[in-house]
Amino acid sequence: MTKITVDGRELEADPKKPLIAACHEHGVDVPHYCYHAGLTPVGSCRMCQVEVEEGGRPARVAAACRTPVSEGMVVNTAGERAHAARRECLEFLLKNHPLDCPICDKAGECKLQDYSYAEGQAEGHSAEPRRKLEKRKDLGDVIVLDQERCILCSRCVRFFEEVTGQAQLCIAGRGAHSWVDSYGGRPLHGNYQGNIADLCPVGALTLKQFRFQARVWNLRKRASTCGECSRGCAISVEVLRQGEVKRIRPRYDADVNRWWMCDHGRFAFEGATLEGRLAGARARGYAGLEDVPVDDAVATVRDAYATHAKHVFVASPWLTVEEGAALAALARGLGAELLLVSPPESALKDDLLHTGDPGPNRRGLTELGCAARDAAGCREALAGAETATLVGERVVDLVGREELAALPAQVRLFVLDTKPFEAPAVRVALGVPDWVERSGHWVNVDGHRGPIAAARPAPAGVRPTLQLLGELGAAAAAEGGAR
Amino acid sequence: MVIVKRKELTLAERLYLPEILRGLSITLRKMFVKRATRQYPEEPLVTTEVTRGQPRLAVNTDGTVRCVSCGMCEAACPAYAITIDGHETERPIEREPERFEIDMLRCILCGFCEEACPKEAIWMSDELELADYTRGALVYDLEKLKRPVSALQPRIDYIKKINDRWRTSSSTS
Repeated sequence: MTKITVDGRELEADPKKPLIAACHEHGVDVPHYCYHAGLTPVGSCRMCQVEVEEGGRPARVAAACRTPVSEGMVVNTAGERAHAARRECLEFLLKNHPLDCPICDKAGECKLQDYSYAEGQAEGHSAEPRRKLEKRKDLGDVIVLDQERCILCSRCVRFFEEVTGQAQLCIAGRGAHSWVDSYGGRPLHGNYQGNIADLCPVGALTLKQFRFQARVWNLRKRASTCGECSRGCAISVEVLRQGEVKRIRPRYDADVNRWWMCDHGRFAFEGATLEGRLAGARARGYAGLEDVPVDDAVATVRDAYATHAKHVFVASPWLTVEEGAALAALARGLGAELLLVSPPESALKDDLLHTGDPGPNRRGLTELGCAARDAAGCREALAGAETATLVGERVVDLVGREELAALPAQVRLFVLDTKPFEAPAVRVALGVPDWVERSGHWVNVDGHRGPIAAARPAPAGVRPTLQLLGELGAAAAAEGGAR
Repeated sequence: MVIVKRKELTLAERLYLPEILRGLSITLRKMFVKRATRQYPEEPLVTTEVTRGQPRLAVNTDGTVRCVSCGMCEAACPAYAITIDGHETERPIEREPERFEIDMLRCILCGFCEEACPKEAIWMSDELELADYTRGALVYDLEKLKRPVSALQPRIDYIKKINDRWRTSSSTS
């Protein structure tokens, strides 16, 4: 480690990393656009200029992202000369920036706004007209490029070259006439395009799906974990007005996903909608499934557990560790067979993040004693059971909606799912919260415990899965005690 | 205990009649002064460009709304009266409001929305009357808020004049 002094504070810096990384690690904010800890520094924006004094020479202004640390280096980030240099750079960056902040989706989390405010660069000196470029350039299914807003930091270009290893974007043209373009105008491809919208420090690259959907300061953000594969990327779930999820973005996690996530997980929230949800409980009456109070439905299930012998439980891999433990306790109390429905491997598997296993908590649930079976295996076990309980979101779809509908009516099927399901075998259906409405933990493929957090309240009448399992389990324990 | 000292009355006051006459003379004089009471609602309220009535959205002469649903007024509103959702358009201004609601029962007519608007789209109109049979009807949607620019022009000119005066007096360059 190298000892340096930043703003009068002595710091230990990693000599393999640039000066700006040492500053950021110790909480000293150095403005930057092109620098990103996950990409090679190029020093193109010059916003990270600071005053550096080393080797007994007088202080000079240098770009912190391209300056290696050296022993005894003295850095002043707030010096007058550094400040002036940054302000001038900002003026040039704003020279061609269209200032359409009222329309721009980045407004509110835009580095250009933040640093203009911080550095006090309000007015430019240029009398030249701003350059006119394409405002709505289509870059495939995920991304729209606004070339006017671009400040040519090249983060997106480097992301494709360095992280996915497949260059898809380039800086075309030269000097002041450069612009970002895809090779040959071809649309972007791959499962990691969405990351460049997060990387873009301005509003040049925006997600088609999030375009004009919400102002970012109206979004309520919760730190959670992605549930689309067993990698369990750290994410932030962003909800507008306690309703629909509008955006999912990756959070930095050094052990799991670093700064990135795949598009499959990023757009998975479209399934977590409030439409078509099963709220409350439905139980079989004389006229088929009828809406009943949740307590009555729970009592019906308890009665069935008490009067019949051969029980099978099928867990969804979306259950949290806490819910899994409650379910395992319930199954143990009844002497039931506890299965975990294992989804088929996804074709999206790659060497970057996606594991190809679409269940986020398979490892956590198998460690708790769930026996993983594929859909056919689960159905086989269900067909021979007297009572069968399916627990967790998507469980009906994973076991097979049509096959379950064809199940003989002798099997007493209890379903705890987010979506309604009608079949002759279904005796009771209970609504449970979605993964954006629950809190708990998932254990990823490497054994890393990732938190999931409730980003919005569940629909009215939906009880937490843990509470429902507790109510069923308490009854089972009472029955066991009485026997 | 508080002891209130009574004022000593003068001779004229003690005589009683002069003071009565003085009071009656005031009454008599006021009978010929122009009346301040307005016969509302037969006589409508007098409004000027300074009147800060209910906020309204300006519509350009080509029928497009000026609002780009940037959410500045929504953020500035101290009463949380405004709710906006935007959507994409084919016009050069890429966004316009899909839903723009002002809950007039919440609105306190402070004019922060007008001040916050970067697109000169929301203005405090001279409309002051607010009555309906249900609460829901007083949540005004986009169609109820739209007004042609010409109807808001006196207010627009006035605000621009005020802003110009402020700009020239505080300019340092």
